[in-house]
Amino acid sequence: MKQYINLYLLEYAINSILRQKSKSFFIVIIFTILVFLLTSVFFITTSIKSELESTVESLPQIIVQKMKAGRHYDIDVDALDNILGIAGVSDGVARVWGYYYFENAGVNFSLVGLDEYEKQYKDSFSKIVDDFDSAKFSDDSMLVGVGVKKIMSKSYYKDYFNFIKPDGGLKKVKIGGVFDAQTSLESNDVIVMSKDMIREIFDIDDSHATDLIVKVANPKEIPTIAQKIKLMFPDTRVITKDDLKISYQNIFDYKSGIFLALFIISLFTFFIVIYDKASGLSSEEKKEIGILKAIGWTIDDVLKEKFYEAFIISFISYIFGVGFSFAYVYIFQAPILKNIFVGYSQLKTSFELPFIFDVQTLFLVFLLSVPIYIFATIIPSWRIATLEADEVIR
Amino acid sequence: MIELKNINKVFEVNKNNKVIALQNINLSIDDGEIVVLKGASGSGKSTILSLIAGLSKPTSGEVIVDKKHIAKLPDNFASIYRRDNIGFIFQKYNLISTLSVSDNILLPLIPLNLDFDELNSKLDIVINRFNISHKKDSIVKNLSGGEQQRVAIARANINNPKIIIADEPTANLDEKLSLNFIEQLKELKSLGKTIIIATHDPLFFGLDFLDREIAINGGKIVL
Amino acid sequence: MILSPEVLTIFILNILFFIFGTIAFFLSVKIYLGWDNESVEQSQYKLEKQSFLTATIIKYIFAIKVPLFLFFIFTLDKISNVLVGAMCGAGVVDATPYGIYLFILKIINLYLFAYWLVLHNEDMKNEKLPFTKMKFGFYSIVYFLFIAELVIEGLMFSSIDIDKMVSCCGTIYSSSSTSYISTIFSLDSTILLVLFYGTFSLIILFYKLKFRYIYAILNILFIIISLITLIAFFGTYIYELPTHYCPFCFLQKDYYYVGYILYTTLFLGTFYGIVIGFIDKSKLEIEKSFKKSLIFNLLYVLIVTVYPVIYFLKNGVWL
Repeated sequence: MKQYINLYLLEYAINSILRQKSKSFFIVIIFTILVFLLTSVFFITTSIKSELESTVESLPQIIVQKMKAGRHYDIDVDALDNILGIAGVSDGVARVWGYYYFENAGVNFSLVGLDEYEKQYKDSFSKIVDDFDSAKFSDDSMLVGVGVKKIMSKSYYKDYFNFIKPDGGLKKVKIGGVFDAQTSLESNDVIVMSKDMIREIFDIDDSHATDLIVKVANPKEIPTIAQKIKLMFPDTRVITKDDLKISYQNIFDYKSGIFLALFIISLFTFFIVIYDKASGLSSEEKKEIGILKAIGWTIDDVLKEKFYEAFIISFISYIFGVGFSFAYVYIFQAPILKNIFVGYSQLKTSFELPFIFDVQTLFLVFLLSVPIYIFATIIPSWRIATLEADEVIR
Repeated sequence: MIELKNINKVFEVNKNNKVIALQNINLSIDDGEIVVLKGASGSGKSTILSLIAGLSKPTSGEVIVDKKHIAKLPDNFASIYRRDNIGFIFQKYNLISTLSVSDNILLPLIPLNLDFDELNSKLDIVINRFNISHKKDSIVKNLSGGEQQRVAIARANINNPKIIIADEPTANLDEKLSLNFIEQLKELKSLGKTIIIATHDPLFFGLDFLDREIAINGGKIVL
Repeated sequence: MILSPEVLTIFILNILFFIFGTIAFFLSVKIYLGWDNESVEQSQYKLEKQSFLTATIIKYIFAIKVPLFLFFIFTLDKISNVLVGAMCGAGVVDATPYGIYLFILKIINLYLFAYWLVLHNEDMKNEKLPFTKMKFGFYSIVYFLFIAELVIEGLMFSSIDIDKMVSCCGTIYSSSSTSYISTIFSLDSTILLVLFYGTFSLIILFYKLKFRYIYAILNILFIIISLITLIAFFGTYIYELPTHYCPFCFLQKDYYYVGYILYTTLFLGTFYGIVIGFIDKSKLEIEKSFKKSLIFNLLYVLIVTVYPVIYFLKNGVWL
């Protein structure tokens, strides 16, 4: 190993870098910033992805929606009985829910219908039912999320809220309580009330539901059962948990792909800058190389030294960039950048980016920084190394 | 033994502009000789030094050192030859002023990646011989002119070369330092080195310990 | 089209490879045509300087190619999460017609570049620079394979369709599939094992005899038979599943990444072995290469043998 790394040469390279303080400093700063931005983007997306994945985990295994003319329609509750008859299906629930647009504040509330005595399809909802007693959760009462409460208060609705029904009439509903749901991402725009109340607000009759969710005993059989449901009801769209996972992954790759594209452009610019800076040699630098060659350094030795310099600069920038990024994303929770990915919306609360140590991301950022810098220095280093020494030392 | 046979060196400044630096030079220098190349600037004496050191190649002719044809060596081997056989003393010392004395002296040996002990023993030999050991770790820019001179000479000797080449070594020095330098030359001669000096400093002319003076003018040896 | 950051990274580096590789190509051709060791003309000195640039470019490309290849494998693994049906990299390779060719080409190129490096090192040790013309001529040819690799890689990644279902390694390599690979696996494992250990014994024999050329050819054969037995036999013992034939899965965490060790030792062992037959080196260097080759090949054989043996000791039966 010692034969591969020449420590004396390394020391000389470090010294050489320090001798050109301003130029080296400038390059390190810029490169560190680029690495920092890139790494931060990746850290944020990885964390959001994992956060979403845990959200998706809690979503239903199969969702059945009726489609009519390519649009989502209310589904027949009877369909549920047929589905429950399929072998492998362990449970099924007809869901009643929808989005209510509150014009004053320009936001959508998610209205979710829960019936106290029905088995909840989501643990967080079971918790809500347990936490709030039936008085608060009855015919004329609803439970709202923290963000919803805030919005309603802003519009002077403190103890109750008036929903505008499709026929123009008002439905006054008391605010029975405020909850703070488990998964931060979705807690803030949710209102929980009884299914009957939702039916009234959205004008959905008893024989219909918004969609059906199906639970399967053996997760490996989900695709098969999804197919069977689809065969049974050809006018439905059957969405499985895996479908959701894949589409999330694609959205994120798409967005970080854009950032990567931007990064490429800046890298390209940087490439030109390095090339230019490294090519321009002061007469002092030229003299130094001339001296080295005169005292016996070969072209390969000079090239090696230049390589060490390039590697040290790019690697230090890499380490700093990644280090700052860690601090920025996980300690300071990535102000500003985070919003670009989560989507700025009044109701979205701040959630904590979980710390995920992903070696692949670090590897990826390394490949995008260090080799590129080194390639940019190949031709300038070569030019320096092949200078005619005798011209230079006169 | 150094031999230059039928050496011609032409510099192509550009396509139409050629400078004839050396014309039909024939020269031999025996081992242990101390030789002075006299001539004005541009006479070609620096070019001869370059050729002997393997820093440049002749347009035609042969350069033979210890039976080796160094003009034909590829660049890497020429450098290795130079490192092992030639000690260079430059006009302005050309030390790296921000490095220490030891670092400067060891500069030629860095690419070799030698053992730490081996490096230190080589270092000790030269810093003692040239009386600079007390300033081993000082930064060069803090040294006096005379001390810097000794560092330059020590560096030229670190690999125990057979040939010492000095190109206008006293051009920027006052008389005291120049005389100092000449004393060092005597020391080097006593070590059995072959010494070649290119200079137009009259202090060197007629010195008794010099073996030969060769005059160069317009690229030719003046007889 | 898969537009993940990993794929984009590979594309970016490939563009860099293309630019510099092509510069090296033009210089190589120039040097190959004009090199004259005896000449003292300015033009020859210029060529000599340019040979340094070309050599440096090729060295750097190889130095980055190796970790990039690893990264490539990681990327295949990651993509397998998005492709329906793929459980590991094998499914991704199979997703397009280019996949398997790309893979083989990448490995061949690794061998070729490594060979160029050895040639270059030997060349630089000798004052006469005996291999200069040859090494640049060699690169001029390797260049085309290199470009082919870049192009096919681009084609492969752009033609991956995430909506199309792919097979898992289980079906690709099983004896019931229709690909030609399956015909190999229907061979009796005893025959395969005899070939494997037989070739290795011959390698030891010719190591002792120091017959360069036969040793090199044996190593080429050894690559082929090792890969086949790895997938058809030894792999099943790593997975402890008689029907799991896959060259990718044991690169994953679940198997302690043993795949990397296996492939690295196999590569190094056979590379040093092949190099012996193709480069004239000094006696000492040849000895060293023989030794390195034998050690790595031996390591490979040992590690790969350990799995079935341990299985047998634990369970008392073979799979």
